[in-house]
Amino acid sequence: MADYDEGVEGLVDYDEAGVDLTLIRYALSLTPGERLQDMQDCVNSLQRILDENADA
Amino acid sequence: MPTLDYFSILQSLAEREVEFIVVGGMSAVLRGAPLTTRDLDIVYRRDAKNIERALAALHRLDARFRIKPEMSPNASHLESTGHKLLNTNRGRLDMLGSIGKQLTYEDLIEYSDELQVDDLRVRVLRLEKLIELKEELRRDTDVAMLPVLRATLAEKRKLNRK
Repeated sequence: MADYDEGVEGLVDYDEAGVDLTLIRYALSLTPGERLQDMQDCVNSLQRILDENADA
Repeated sequence: MPTLDYFSILQSLAEREVEFIVVGGMSAVLRGAPLTTRDLDIVYRRDAKNIERALAALHRLDARFRIKPEMSPNASHLESTGHKLLNTNRGRLDMLGSIGKQLTYEDLIEYSDELQVDDLRVRVLRLEKLIELKEELRRDTDVAMLPVLRATLAEKRKLNRK
């Protein structure tokens, strides 16, 4: 992690287990309904990509 | 595969007044964990009235067993404590009679709260209990989720202290 973070010290925020805390803070800033929508949009986008590349 | 619409599944269950608790990955998402999940896991009350209401909702969602698509769940299936892994016309829905060490709806209700999900009130398992269950199970898939769940709980606690 240290090599990757070189030059961006203070611009990333991981906990000891390597979890990106910025993602958690973003999710916690949303309402439960927004969290559901956000996740669903993400899964549907991935599914579209998978469907379009079914032969890959 | 239909476009995933978990809100519609929750809405169908709520419209029929099905008593259930959202558990698993979706409970983590609703509690603020930045995870994705491809199914909605619920533990439902297994009394006759609730099973009747659940069957009405499942019929509307055209629910079928994922392993056996020609088969729809019936009352006898829902009476069991086992896991009913279903496809619906809005996405995957797992109807769980119990989870972990045979914990039922009645066992889990004290570890859940109702959250406002748009215009629905939805009962959702607390993160603390979800973490405890996953720590007990120790399956690879459960262990993989634990760092994010623990970090989410820690961040929530920090926010609550502010």
